[in-house]
Amino acid sequence: MSSGSLATPAGLAGLPTPQTVLVVDDEPTARIALAARLKRLGYRVIEAVDGKSGLDALRRERPDLTILDWMMPEIDGPSFCERVRQDPELLTSQILMMTSHDEPEQIAEGLARGADDFLSKAASKYEITARVQSGVRAATLIRRLEDATEEIRRKQEVLEREIQSAASYVESLLPAPGIVAPGVQMVHAYRPSLGLGGDLFNIVSWGDGVLGLYLLDASGHGVSSALRSAALSTFLRRGNLLRHVGSTDPGAILTEANKQFPLTEDGNYFTIIFARLDIRARTLSYATAGHNGAFLQRSSGEFNWMARPNLPLGFDASTTYVTTDLTIAPGDRLYLLSDGLYEVPDSSGALWGQDRLEETICGCGPRPLTEVVARSIEEAIRWQGHEQFPDDVALMGVEVTAAVV
Amino acid sequence: MNHDPVFSLDEALSRVDHDRETFEMMVELFLEHGPKDLAEAKAALGVQNAVGLARSSHRLKGAILQFCAPASLHACKALEETAKAGNLLHAEALYATLEQELLRLLNALRRERDKGLAA
Repeated sequence: MSSGSLATPAGLAGLPTPQTVLVVDDEPTARIALAARLKRLGYRVIEAVDGKSGLDALRRERPDLTILDWMMPEIDGPSFCERVRQDPELLTSQILMMTSHDEPEQIAEGLARGADDFLSKAASKYEITARVQSGVRAATLIRRLEDATEEIRRKQEVLEREIQSAASYVESLLPAPGIVAPGVQMVHAYRPSLGLGGDLFNIVSWGDGVLGLYLLDASGHGVSSALRSAALSTFLRRGNLLRHVGSTDPGAILTEANKQFPLTEDGNYFTIIFARLDIRARTLSYATAGHNGAFLQRSSGEFNWMARPNLPLGFDASTTYVTTDLTIAPGDRLYLLSDGLYEVPDSSGALWGQDRLEETICGCGPRPLTEVVARSIEEAIRWQGHEQFPDDVALMGVEVTAAVV
Repeated sequence: MNHDPVFSLDEALSRVDHDRETFEMMVELFLEHGPKDLAEAKAALGVQNAVGLARSSHRLKGAILQFCAPASLHACKALEETAKAGNLLHAEALYATLEQELLRLLNALRRERDKGLAA
């Protein structure tokens, strides 16, 4: 049996709801005396006559403080405490154990089994008041902490939904794999490290057998990197390039991008390779800015890393980026990638490295491009020993087929 | 015979902030439950059930504490402690003392209740 009653006007007429104290004691005289004192202090009091009904009341009412007798039939005070501490819904409840045992060993046992504090049955009314107020204060702090934790969890959920939405947007910026122009096949792999990556790449037909393609890598990870990458990819749209650069020359484009995208206040920057592929003229013109992840695999099997030693975008506004021209032949394959692919560490910290990536790709021989890209990712994962890349990973493979060239 | 006051009305009232209504409710409860707890203690003693005797005397002690009745409290504590220790050798004598003191307390509380009713 348990009963509850509002003790004071608090909680009525718009006043704050009074704090609730549950008193669990099988001895009615002591229970009534304590309940009366608590009511006079302004608490809402619920009484329970044994441990079982006390646990029921605790679950039902979630009082701010429970005052509990030690010795009761069936479920005694310490057993009550143990059950509360094992129940995820109740474990933060504040429990004041009431006892005539005042030996240190017994108090230690009570604390070890889950009581928060003790109150002697012979305590003066002043001590009772002080202990109850202390327990309620602790309960209030715990409630605030629980509320704050819940608020953080809710905000985290909102944030994660927004990140997922942003990640979907970033992925929508990526080109669809397949035949991107007559005689040009593209395959890619994209593995952001945090759900939202700072790597972006694209390949766009500019007409007349000419394609613009790039792969950029924003330093850092997450939302900030993704936003900066999206901004740079917007700058790299053909219409925008013609307006602001007046040319589709890769070197000129990166030289202008370097001015438009200086280092951020946090010191973040981009590395990038920008290329123009002219199928009819059989040329590949490109420029890099601090970006090492690009190589051309000739149909003969010859392997050429394309990087030039220079600064990433944003370090020095006066930097001029130079265009390099290569001839291409049917069957040649161009790979653009972020360093997150070959800089994966194994358990000892050793990096997979460009040489192993080159071996992997060469080892694939003339296998289809889709297989080569997939194999490269698999080997990097095998090297690091798990699926989760520590850095964003992007790999775009472009093959010039024999049919058109 | 113990000639000390059976209980301190002032102290007992002070414990409940001089709330006479609450005090009278406690008296009524004790007049009802006190003899039952004593009877349980006697029954437990009759079958040498130390655990039961400890439990009954513990309940009695919790109630007696509210009335600031030193002789009853002392007798009750002594019986509870011997029962908890599992040594019932002197329990009969301790029980007899408790019975006597409790009777005095119950009578004193009954008189106090009747005075309140008459007022």
